Amino acid sequence: MSTQDKVAIHKLPTGVPGLDEIVGGGLPEYSFNIIAGEPGSGKTTLAHQFVFANATPERPALYFTVLGESAIKMLRYQQQYTFFDPAMLPDAIRFINLSQVVLEKDLGAVLEEITKEVEKSNPAVVVVDSFRTMVRKPQSDMDLQSFIQRLALFLASWQATTFLIGEYAEDELRDNPIFTVADGLFWLRQTAERNSIVRKLQIIKLRGQDSVPGLHTFRITDAGVQAFSRTFGLTGHAKNPPSHRRLSFGIAELDKMLDGGVREGDSVLIAGSSGTGKSVLATQFIAEGIRQGEPGIVAVFEERPQAYAERATSLGLDLETPQKDGKLEILYLRPLDLSVDETMHSILDAVQKIGAKRLVIDSLAGFEMALSPGFRADFRESLYRMIFALTGIGVTILSTVEVDESFTEFPFSTYSISFLTDDIVRLRYVSIDGQLRKIMVVIKMRGGNHAKDIREYEITSKGVVILGKRLTEYQGLISGVPVHSDRSGAKEEPPQDTGIEHRS
Amino acid sequence: MTIRRKTRDLARRLLEYEAMAGESPESMESASTRVYEKLRQSLGEFVGAAGFHSLASRALALARPDAPSLSAARVTADGSFEDLGEIEPQIDDDKDQAGEYPSGGGGAILITRLLDLLLIFLGESLTLSLLRNAWPSAAFDDRNSVHGRKA
Repeated sequence: MSTQDKVAIHKLPTGVPGLDEIVGGGLPEYSFNIIAGEPGSGKTTLAHQFVFANATPERPALYFTVLGESAIKMLRYQQQYTFFDPAMLPDAIRFINLSQVVLEKDLGAVLEEITKEVEKSNPAVVVVDSFRTMVRKPQSDMDLQSFIQRLALFLASWQATTFLIGEYAEDELRDNPIFTVADGLFWLRQTAERNSIVRKLQIIKLRGQDSVPGLHTFRITDAGVQAFSRTFGLTGHAKNPPSHRRLSFGIAELDKMLDGGVREGDSVLIAGSSGTGKSVLATQFIAEGIRQGEPGIVAVFEERPQAYAERATSLGLDLETPQKDGKLEILYLRPLDLSVDETMHSILDAVQKIGAKRLVIDSLAGFEMALSPGFRADFRESLYRMIFALTGIGVTILSTVEVDESFTEFPFSTYSISFLTDDIVRLRYVSIDGQLRKIMVVIKMRGGNHAKDIREYEITSKGVVILGKRLTEYQGLISGVPVHSDRSGAKEEPPQDTGIEHRS
Repeated sequence: MTIRRKTRDLARRLLEYEAMAGESPESMESASTRVYEKLRQSLGEFVGAAGFHSLASRALALARPDAPSLSAARVTADGSFEDLGEIEPQIDDDKDQAGEYPSGGGGAILITRLLDLLLIFLGESLTLSLLRNAWPSAAFDDRNSVHGRKA
């Protein structure tokens, strides 16, 4: 069958930010869906968002309430959400209470009542909330499966997109005839992870749609449910073509060590212990980008944006003006129960808003602490997805990470995340001539020809300044306690390693 | 519990509207009875008979201290009133010196209390949306007064 012979399934907006992406572009029109989950998981709110996004006076939504939550209380609370538009009631959205029918009659009468109302109103959307309370009653004239089958057939024929809402536990998923009949099955979960609540959404099935598999985090705010796709909403974005551009740090000597700068679209890791200047380097990187017309984002977790900008000012770097000009956004993300997906959402919003080319994450330790404990276990995997997604759209990421200073080892990162990065610059303290000095070295540069030099640097009022030539007079510098070599008396200065002469 | 001005105005509008609509010779019901029945039909659809019964019972309890004529009134299971139309349209004048209620006796007080509950639970915007369903051609606010509304 050619493409033009196939029926086109119209996709309806879910009204839930982020959910359209997860369900493959929208909810199939005329589909028969179930929203399942435990009490308080957001089922009703999700259904309301769909209703408010799709109902019109010409094709209204019928919202059947059954036993359970009082309709008055439901509306009292639901109207607090920003999506709730009272003006849509009752012309576009009608709430119909079926509790009397359910209590006094059987499922056949319920079906009859729904049928009567649907035929009268010609709705585009039908919701039965809560469906589960209706079917818990002992059945008489019609068994449950038959009821569901007939309801699904009837509503599909009347061109209504339907949601049945039910309280279900995980173990009820198997062998349930209701789930077999449904075109779409949305499962909402909420679990307590130490002191945090983690909400997750799964599309267990969705006929005719290429939905994103897996568990997606979601949050309920005053705007209702907001979902965060595991793919960060980037499935529809084309990858940026590979770039050969090099991005400068604004530190000439460091650019030389990096064979001309960081390759655009790379993920760079600046690793070092406290006070070695990781944040200073990151600030210089973002400031240089702005100077060259590349908007940037700084995601900070350990200090507030104002403090971050003031520290930059002390280094002679103006981060206030570019913020006002829309060239820089400093994101402060520290609610302590974030998911990586939510963080990514904030970052991506900012990236798209200002067209950012550079992103600084300062620091990964702070990022991890901002996450809900339940997400920390997946930190590496989440970080991998995030970096892959962002670099895929051409953003160059610089992350800082604190490593324990050891005088016997030279770890790149306590997170074992070096495999996630294209380039690693290691900063560390070293004891030389009775002073605690600082050295830096480029450990890794994927696809680049970086210098192997170990260079001494200082943090001055102008930021990181790399001193002199490479340190050739000492052995064992990376141990932190080098030994002065005999070459210290040599008259001839060693050539500076720019990377060109040291191809590996 | 003091009645807010907006509730009083709303009740007065509905009662006036139904009073005008009921001027025909065949109309035997009082304005307050017709308002109450329309509210019962309209709200009963979405809160259910039991839900409306609860609201009406609460409104009755709140209205009784100000309207002794309601002391014998009862709300039935389907939310309707026993003998609402026969309730003596009398008000305890001592307690309405502030002019809290629109004229119309115990029925008007009951309607006012019922509307007040809706405003408390649902807010003005949603309450007006629901009332427009029962009174599509009535004017409830400035917007409708200015622009009119299709019946």
